This record gives sequence, C-alpha cells and structure tokens, in this order.
Amino acid sequence: MRIYGSKELINDVAQRDLCIGCGMCVNICPYFKTYKGKSAMLFPCMLDQGRCNAHCPKTEVDLDALSHFFWNEPYDGSPLGRFKRIMAARAGEKVSGSFQGGGTVSALVAYALKRNLIEGAVLTGAEGIEPVARLVAEPEQVAACAGSKFIAAPTLTALNQAARDGARRLAVVGTPCQMTAVAQMRMNPTKREDFEDPIALAVGVFCNWALDHRQLVAYLSERMDASTITGMDIPPPPAEVLVVKTAEGEERFPLKEIRKLIPHTCFICPDMTAEWSDVSVGMYEGRSGWNTLLIRTQVGFELVERAVEAGWLEVETFPKENEQALSGAALAKKERSFRNADRHGYLRQDDEDCRPAVRVPPEVLARLLG
Amino acid sequence: MKTICDGRSGDTRLMQGNEAFARGALEAGLSVVAGYPGTPSSEIVENLAKASTVRDIYVEWSVNEKVAMEVAAAASFAGLRSAAVMKQVGVNVASDFMLHLAESGTRGGMILISCEDPGALSSGNEGESRPFAKLFELPLLEPCDMQEAKDMTKWAFELSEEIRNLVMIRSVTRLSHASGNVTLGSLPEIEPEARYKHWGTPIDPEEGPITTFPVHYKHAQMQQKLKQAVTRFEESPFNTYEGPENPEVIIVTSSACTLYSREAIRLLGVADRVGLLKLGTTWPLPPRLMETHLAKADVIFTVEEVLPFLEDSVKILAAEISDRIGVKKFHGRSDGTLPTINELNPDLVAEGLAKILGMTYQAVDPTYTALADEATATDAPERDLAFCAGCPHRASFWSIHNALEMDGRQGFVCGDIGCYTLAFLPTGFSTLKTGHAMGSGTGIASGFGKLDRFGMDQPVLSVCGDSTFFHAVMPALVNAIHNRADMTLVVLDNSGTAMTGFQPHPGRPSDAAGNEVPALDIAKIVRAMGAHVEESDPFDVDATRHKVLELLQKGGVNVLILKQSCALCPEKKGKKLFQVDLDASVCFGENCGCNKLCTRVFKCPGLQWDPEAKAARIDEVICSGCGVCASICPSGAITKKEVA
Repeated sequence: MRIYGSKELINDVAQRDLCIGCGMCVNICPYFKTYKGKSAMLFPCMLDQGRCNAHCPKTEVDLDALSHFFWNEPYDGSPLGRFKRIMAARAGEKVSGSFQGGGTVSALVAYALKRNLIEGAVLTGAEGIEPVARLVAEPEQVAACAGSKFIAAPTLTALNQAARDGARRLAVVGTPCQMTAVAQMRMNPTKREDFEDPIALAVGVFCNWALDHRQLVAYLSERMDASTITGMDIPPPPAEVLVVKTAEGEERFPLKEIRKLIPHTCFICPDMTAEWSDVSVGMYEGRSGWNTLLIRTQVGFELVERAVEAGWLEVETFPKENEQALSGAALAKKERSFRNADRHGYLRQDDEDCRPAVRVPPEVLARLLG
Repeated sequence: MKTICDGRSGDTRLMQGNEAFARGALEAGLSVVAGYPGTPSSEIVENLAKASTVRDIYVEWSVNEKVAMEVAAAASFAGLRSAAVMKQVGVNVASDFMLHLAESGTRGGMILISCEDPGALSSGNEGESRPFAKLFELPLLEPCDMQEAKDMTKWAFELSEEIRNLVMIRSVTRLSHASGNVTLGSLPEIEPEARYKHWGTPIDPEEGPITTFPVHYKHAQMQQKLKQAVTRFEESPFNTYEGPENPEVIIVTSSACTLYSREAIRLLGVADRVGLLKLGTTWPLPPRLMETHLAKADVIFTVEEVLPFLEDSVKILAAEISDRIGVKKFHGRSDGTLPTINELNPDLVAEGLAKILGMTYQAVDPTYTALADEATATDAPERDLAFCAGCPHRASFWSIHNALEMDGRQGFVCGDIGCYTLAFLPTGFSTLKTGHAMGSGTGIASGFGKLDRFGMDQPVLSVCGDSTFFHAVMPALVNAIHNRADMTLVVLDNSGTAMTGFQPHPGRPSDAAGNEVPALDIAKIVRAMGAHVEESDPFDVDATRHKVLELLQKGGVNVLILKQSCALCPEKKGKKLFQVDLDASVCFGENCGCNKLCTRVFKCPGLQWDPEAKAARIDEVICSGCGVCASICPSGAITKKEVA
C-alpha cells in the first residue's frame, strides 16, 4: 500500500467530498479535528506521509494488502468477506435491556468487559441527534450505546485518544468504513517502531449507508425544533419512514426524502458487512429480535463460544436461503459501489501519480463488473 | 516628574518633534487639548497630560477624533485656546465636523495637529490630510524641524484667533518622532476664563451663537478669513529661500522634505545651480512670495510626501501668473521624477534632482547592495512580523481560526485597525480576510450578514479591540442588530489602547491625566443593545474555540468578549503567570503527530526550534509565561506551573 500525507488527504478525501467523518484522522495529531460529522484539517502538517492518510478508509485502501495481512489470502471480492461461520444470534438471558435488534453486539461487548477479555470498549453513543464517540470500561455502560445511530459517527476519535492515553486490549464497534480504518491502523502502515496494536476485539456492524449529520440536522431543523430530539429509528420494511423521537412524542419523515441526505461517499463503499472485523453483526431480515452474526476470526469464534456457554448470547443456525439473500444484497452493494467509484475515477491505479480511493485487484474488479 | 514645562525662556533643549508641538501649545497658553491615540501623534497629548500635573490645562483622550475635535471646539467657543490632535486617518473621522467648524468659525485660538505617516510605517494606508485644508478652505502650516514645530504651533494660535477659524498643522513621522534642538520661549502666566457668549445674532462673531447659518454669509466669511491668512503668509518667516539668485532649478518643498532637499543639494554639490524655496505655509500659497521666487528659474522641482498637493498648487499658481513669470517645466511626484508612493529620503531626492540636472547619482554601490541582499538572505534569522510573546491575540486567533476550520463552511473574519490587524499574516493564522478603517470590520460583517438571500452560507465574524469598540464599532453593531444581520463580533479586549501605548479609553477606570473616571462595561452595553453575549478567557483556547463554534451556529448578532490584558501592559509586563517548561525528550519534534506545531504554526517567539536536539525549547528571556503553548502541545512536552 502507498502512504501519503495530509495534503493528499485533503485533496483526495475532503475535496472529493468522500469524508465520512469516522474520526480515524482525529486525535493522532493536533491538525485534525472533527465537528458535526466532518473531519477538518486546521493546518497542513507538511509531512509527506502520515497516519491520517494511511489509516483513512476513503483513500488508498489496498484491499489485497488488507486481505493478506488479515487472512494471509488475496482479496477475492466475496460478497460477505471471509468468515468462519454465519449464525442467528441474540442477547442471552444474562443480558437485560431492550434492543433495536437482537442485542448481540451489546451482549458480546458487555461479556468481554465482564470477563476482562478487554479493558475498554470504543462505542457510539448519542447526545440528542448527534452521535458521539464513547470509551466505556464497565459492562453496565454498554447498553446506553446500543442501537444504530443512522448517522455517520466520529467513533474512532475515542479509539485514538484511548490508544494515546496508553489503553490496550480495546474493543471497537463500528461500521464497515470504521472497521476498514481500524484494520489499516492495525497493519501499522507507517512502520512506527513504538506501535502496539491497541485492539483486542473488532466488532463490525452491517451498514448500507449512513446519513450526513449536517444535512440531516438542516433537513429536520426546517421541519421541527431539532434540539428537542431524543432519538431516531428506521423501522424495518415496509415502513419506509424515519421516526424521530422527542419528549412530546414522535415525528415521521418519509425515507424517500431522508435517502437524499446520504452522503455521496456511502455510494462508493463496497462493504456491507464490515469485512475487516472479528465478528460482524446486522439485522436479521424478517425475524424481529434477532441478529445475523458473522464470525470471521478465531478471536471472534472463541468469544462467541464463551458468551454462549455463559448465557450471555443465544445462537441458532442461520437459514441457507437467508444467507443467500444477504449475500446477494452485499454483492449488489459491492458491484454498485465499485461501478460508481470507477465512474468517478476513484479506482484508477494505472499510473504512478494515481491515488485511488480503493485499490482493487484488477481481476476481482473485472469479475465483479463484468 | 520631568515635563515639557521644564526649562526657561532662551534655554535650548533636545526635544522630540511631538514634545516641541506640545511645548509650543503651552507657550501659546493652551487650555484644552483632546485627541485620539494614533502613531505618530500620540506623544503630543501624552506630554500635555504630564504637563497637566503642573499647569492648569484639561487634557482628554476622546472616544474618537471627531469627538476630540468637538471637545476642543467647545473650549474655543468658550474663548479658550485649544487643540485637537490626531493622525492622518483621524482627520477623516473628524472631517464631517471639521467642514462645519470651518464654516461656523472659532473664537479662542484653535488648531488641529495632524501627524501623518508617509510610507505607512504604522498605518493601514498611505493617506494624507493636507487636501482637507483645501477642501474646507482652511489655512495649512507645515513645520520642517523641531524649532519650527514649537514656534509654528504658537503662531498658529495667534493666526487662528486673528481670522477666527481653525488652523491646521501637518507633521510627519520623521518630524514627530525625530529629535532636535529647540530654543524655548516662556510659558505665559494666564488665568483663562471660559464663557460661551451666545446672546448676539448668528452673524455676531463675538457674542452670537456659533453655527454654519446663514450658510452663504458664513461661507463668504470663511473665504475672507482665508484671504486674511494669505496676507499673513506673504510675510511669514516660515517661508524662506536659500540659493543663487538665478538658479537652474528651484526646489519647492516643505516639512521634513526640506531636510532631504537640503541634503540632496549638498550630496550633488549643486548649491550654485539649485535654489531651495522652503514653505511653512503651504495652503493657500502666498502668490506674491511665490511669484518672486518662481520667476528665478525655469525648472520647478516640488519635493513632498504623499500626494502632489503642493505641486498641484504651484502649477495652478504658475499658470495664473505665467504672463509674468514665463512658462515653467515642472518635476515632482506627478511626472515620476520622485516615486509616487512611500516615504522620501535624501537619496531619492538626490536621484530625482540629478535626473533633472542631467547628472548621475548612485546612492549605494550595486556590489554592496548585492552583498547585503545575499547576507540578509543567508545570515539573518527569518523573522515574520509577529504578535509578541504572550500576546492574547495569538491565542484568540488560534481559537477563531480553528473553530472556522472545524465549522468547515469557509467562514471568515472581517478586521480593522489595531495590533490584531497582523492576523491577516501567519502570526494570526491568516484569519483576517478584510481590513479597512476603525470599526469597518463590523460594518462589513453587518453587510455580509444580510447576504443569505443571495445564497451566502459562510459564517461571518468581525473583530475589534476594546478602544476601537468605543471609537467606531458601536454604530456598526447597532446597525447589524437593527437590521437583523447574522454575524458574530469578537471583542479582543486587552485592557487599553495597546498598539499606541496603553492610552486609556472609555472602558478604562482612569483618564489621560490619571484621574478616576467611570469605566463603561462593553458586555453590559452590547447586552443592552440586544446582542447575545458570551465571554471567555482567550488563554483558555479550548473553551474559547468551543464558544466560537457555538456562536457560529447561532443566527442573529452575537458578541464574544475575549478579555486578557496585553502582555506589554504596565500591570503585566515582566510578570509571568506561569513558569513554562519543555521536556525535549517528550517532544514529538518533526514526527507524525506534531511536526513542530509550536514553532512552525503557533509561532510564539518564546518558542524556538532546536535543530540539533530535534525538539522545541523555550526561550526563557522572551517567554512571558502565558502558558498557552502548554495547551496546544500534542505530546505533553510543554508544562506550565503557576508562578506564586
């Protein structure tokens, strides 16, 4: 993989409007800050190479290098990424609380904290409508961060801060873009001698798209007092609405309108199931109260096994036809996104000066795009 | 305390030009002086303020120059001798009143001293105010040295009383801020009595109300007064000629350019070929005197700074009397014999004169210039124009800049005049994007703040100092609030008129002479106006950035007051708030994660890069102990400890 600096990061990400505001470039240096869903560079740092660029999930992501690092295998473009097992899962009887889906993520993270398998977890909480990065150390704190925020979140700012403060053995829960950033960081691409991998557990959550924080606030502010919002939900199909909760009740907005607030950068993202993680969790289409769980690594496998044994997690087999449907959706996202990125020239790697958003092995691209 | 009152008649003293102006005013029996600080004028009022401890005079730093002139005019109307003092831009501010004053006339002797800044050494422009004398039909005097500064000031009061109108004196930096020998006159023993006589008719100059009405009558009076002044100018000892009776070239000059011209003649050794007509009374020109001298030569070289003001007057006059003096060839700033911008100096005048005489003159050997340029480039340390160590403005603009970048909507700051003007440079992180007159930043922001209907979605801020707030920002802020503009004013309150030397202003608890006076509270004022007000300590960069970010999201008019005294103010100077230390072993240096943030970007002069250690270090001598760098250091290498 190739490493560039902050100048190229601004050029290739901010100026192409590809920043998803994951927070990976923030809290590693004084130059990048996050505000209302976007990363901003306060001053150019002038270095030719920097972690800001090397870890960014929206530029110079080398899928083959990642695949070799994680699986010792080339990147093959399989729809769900590499995984050991797919199951249905939900929080076990030891876990209290109500969840948007099956509570699988909360259960796994809380269990890992409880058993001291990790010393802290980087999660995404919310203040009103605004998603905020959280570092939690107690199992009881996990539930407060449960549920999708539907908005791109600067979660990884808390990961960087915790790592800077010396924390190790951290869990991180994030969307596919965030998992890509974390995976790149774990490769230590800038070859820092003092690098220590702070991650003990990477939990990815499925994602088709997230909403742009600023656009959503602007949209809602025109229609209601956005400062009174306490939470949001997008109920499963066929509801086709965004439900916004306030102390007084609920407001509903057609999803058709809300989809216009998806940032352009989500449409070049090839990853639906957070392929670069130990386990990935998503909704179970058609079965309320359950999740889809993809176990990808040995770390993930052992965690799930122990959590099930201890009664923190309940698992069932995942029907083949559901797996096919999921795989079909993931493949569709890959094809659509690669095609879209290709149309914008974001995949070009045909000469030395090209800095693609993603480096995809040409044979994989050829196969996917026909 | 030593004051300009020291010294007896006949004593010769080394005096700064501004001290000489002040001494001249005292010798004339001045009772009231009012001004607004501005380089190079400030020392006149400051010296008179010191003198007020031993002489019964009233000295005022006014809220702005217009009010200063009004305050001085009131004294004149009451029969006292008074002066208004300001720099060239101040005359613009005062000019509205000045036009009316010129037409209404004065009673006690009243002068305006305008100290100007050719070359804009301490100004945001290279303007000048002499054209106001012509515009308002007022007599203008230009002293050429310190003795004349004193003597002409004294004479100006007499002339003003004689013609019952304002007399304008123009100085320049090289006169106001240079020093020379002055032979003193005596200070009069007077007991002036102030009484405004208003019981006559409006055309009664002694006891009538003082107004511009009836306008035509007063205008005619005004022109009559000017003619009277010209009569006195014809005989004035301040206009002199030196040189041969039939020179090839006559230099017509005034002010500090007299000295440059004299030196140029000597440098070229052309005293037998060139005459020097030095004018102290430059508007209106005395025609008889001019005719006598212009008749002597066919070539006229006018030497002056900034505009070709004198040159134009000479040309007009020469045209009017060309049947008697013949056709002349003119040189000066208009035809490029002299540069049309910047200050003059003896070399430039000599170069111009040599060109006219067909001689060659090279002030500096080109080899020397080349060597000097090379040495400057390689041997001299690189130093930007920068805020002082510990300057609160650096911290304020750090927070404002970072908030704007984080906000990400290409917001910007409209600035005006003060030390903070430097924020258009890297020392202020290039944060200022407009810069004009006092208070203009806020007026401009008020205008930008109404452009949303045309699609402008950039947040707009303005900044002003505490003195500027009172001087000219208040009306602009009223405008913004009343017209529902969306903007944020940041008041950089450093507790005084810092740039010109900590003169007090209406927000301070003492006046020019050190008397206790009520201090007006900026926060209360803007709150009463109807703005949303926040306050923060600029040294707390995180809290300040947070406040700015919050205000950027709010509509309407917001005011953020950032209060922290100037690092050089008398109460703070030399005292450190914190002992600041830097652990080079912790410093990230040039690595990813910092790359010299403190010395490359923050750039406080108290921080230095040690290229051998590859770490920053603190220059103990320069560090003023504000502690802000400890907040911005990403590695924790910089620490601060409160000084007990």
